[in-house]
Amino acid sequence: MADLSVTLAGLALRNPVITASGTFGYGADYADLVPFERLGAITVKGVSLAPCRGNPPPRTAEVFGGLLNAIGLQNPGVDKFLHDSRYLPFLRTVDTAVFVNIWGTSIEEYAEVARRLDAESEGIAALEINISCPNIKHGGIAFGTDLGLAGRVVREVRKATRLPLITKLSPNVTDIGEFARCVVEAGSDVVSLINTIPAMAIDIETRRPKLANVTGGLSGPAIKPVAVRMVYQARQAVDVPIIGMGGIQSAADALEFLLAGADAVGVGTAIFADPGCLVRIVDGIDACLDRWGVPHVRDIVGGVIV
Amino acid sequence: MKNEETARSLRNDRIQGDYYRLDLEAPVIARAVRPGQFVHTQIPGLAHRVLRRPFSVFDTDPATGRLSIIYKVVGEGTARLAATAPGTPISLLGPLGNGFSLPSADAFPVIVAGGFGCAATFLLARRSPVPFRVLIGGRSVADLLLVREYRELGCTVRVATEDGSRGHRGVVTDLLAQLLDGGGPPPRVYACGPNAMLGAVCRLVSGRGLDAEVSLDHVMCCGVGACYTCVVKVLADTPDGWEYVRTCLDGPVFRARETVWE
Ligand SMILES: Cc1cc2nc3c(=O)[nH]c(=O)nc-3n(C[C@H](O)[C@H](O)[C@H](O)COP(=O)(O)OP(=O)(O)OC[C@H]3O[C@@H](n4cnc5c(N)ncnc54)[C@H](O)[C@@H]3O)c2cc1C
Ligand SMILES: Cc1cc2nc3c(=O)[nH]c(=O)nc-3n(C[C@H](O)[C@H](O)[C@H](O)COP(=O)(O)O)c2cc1C
Ligand code: FES
Repeated sequence: MADLSVTLAGLALRNPVITASGTFGYGADYADLVPFERLGAITVKGVSLAPCRGNPPPRTAEVFGGLLNAIGLQNPGVDKFLHDSRYLPFLRTVDTAVFVNIWGTSIEEYAEVARRLDAESEGIAALEINISCPNIKHGGIAFGTDLGLAGRVVREVRKATRLPLITKLSPNVTDIGEFARCVVEAGSDVVSLINTIPAMAIDIETRRPKLANVTGGLSGPAIKPVAVRMVYQARQAVDVPIIGMGGIQSAADALEFLLAGADAVGVGTAIFADPGCLVRIVDGIDACLDRWGVPHVRDIVGGVIV
Repeated sequence: MKNEETARSLRNDRIQGDYYRLDLEAPVIARAVRPGQFVHTQIPGLAHRVLRRPFSVFDTDPATGRLSIIYKVVGEGTARLAATAPGTPISLLGPLGNGFSLPSADAFPVIVAGGFGCAATFLLARRSPVPFRVLIGGRSVADLLLVREYRELGCTVRVATEDGSRGHRGVVTDLLAQLLDGGGPPPRVYACGPNAMLGAVCRLVSGRGLDAEVSLDHVMCCGVGACYTCVVKVLADTPDGWEYVRTCLDGPVFRARETVWE
């Protein structure tokens, strides 16, 4: 039994395996299938200031080795999230850390969501800022692909809350290290990466895109090598804890991210096919560390030999 | 309660055309399932495909723990499933979805079904306290499923084929219209099949002030309500009168009165 506990920005987790935002709902839907007390943390689906209906269907399409999605961030809005029994009140009863993923279409919206969560923060371990959304006020440029905007979002959210802050980086940039440094300087305690990669699939018979939104974000095993490379580069750029994700299905995949420099890992798309994979990944990391004679999971973080 | 159960395939045979029947030993889900619910099925040996496939539970034998599905080969996953040997372990999530409500003993219930929709309504007919009228449609006689099995349950079956190769020449909803206008007591209508058929069923019953329970087919991802892939529009108390709900959790069975057809 290796010691799997990790500490992210002062936050102690029993192990490094975290559910990725948008792939685990608000927890309740998987309550029968996944023992929460075996997970490091749960990240809930993105919450915004106002309720959001999301995109028209079809919203996802299976592709070779991956999944395209354009859900469009459907969510009940922050007030319902805080007070409806299916959301935060339920999450307050589970024995695992809860990370709340937040988004907005303007800097003010991000800050306001953070403020409202901060005001009733019992049961919330950290906020994860999803900066991969378009800024409506600034002509739809994604916050996560503009250094100036990314820094400003994080600075304003930092002022709005005392909760630990994770910033979820977009992979849609040339130099991921630059963005990691930028959000850390702006006050982010942790960085997580990667979000989905913009992509497209076409039905050749109907000649129409497979998603109503035309394009969507690619996730799953197909993106794993890209994600490992970006975690490795982010590790060179910043000293704060990193949550690495993108295509993790097994303990071996998770260990690859840890060696690349991640302190913890997110598991997303793999849950859809196999909710049991979460516990298998935890147990598999443990078994592998034992086999290697490594007493603590932190001993292998960044251990890639180059 | 949702379960993840590793079932063992008992038999997996072609029944007609592109349709197959798969019997699984899955005692936990077989004993818990209600009519109209589905199982989210991992296809063995399809590692480059990242999702499960949803199939309605066609029939069960709670005594032996058998659970059966009927599937049509339409793509890579179902083709792979058809090639799965008996004895293969197959992971199921289930039972999922809301399912149909059983008719009361004094009801006059009717099933309207097409294609693999005939499988989704079978357990409903089996567990019903009163025999069903069953209207089955298809393009031609080769597409008519389970006619004998419904009759063996004591149901009265009428069929329609678009090419006239068996029964009424035309669509199955012609038979429903005849029945609705035949002057009998107002029936309780249940339907599962292609979307065009379900839309027609909803229009027919709504036009006569009746309702129906219709089971919708929608691409799914998680199957348990977590990802918001499978949404459909339903009428709701919102400023513009509708909202998106999840087919896998709030459905797949919806009331004709709440459905929106565009
Ligand atoms: C609630 C429910 C119950 C169902 N019950 C049955 C049943 O009893 N018998 C049966 O034969 N089929 C049933 N289906 C449809 C069945 O799920 C699809 O035919 C199957 O997923 C196709 O997989 P494929 O890999 O062969 O097709 P591909 O086209 O290769 O699949 C590509 C992707 O699209 C999805 N997909 C394709 N067609 C459908 C469809 N019609 N519905 C949902 N997802 C689809 C697949 O799951 C996969 O993710 C049901 C669907 C739903 C939603
Ligand atoms: C259906 C779906 C919905 C997602 N929703 C969100 C979201 O609301 N917020 C967010 O930051 N990331 C979201 N993501 C991205 C994931 O959290 C994760 O970063 C990405 O999918 C890569 O990991 P994976 O390959 O393990 O899925 C979503 C991904 C999927 C597949
Ligand atoms: S398929 Fe995920 S919510 Fe229905």
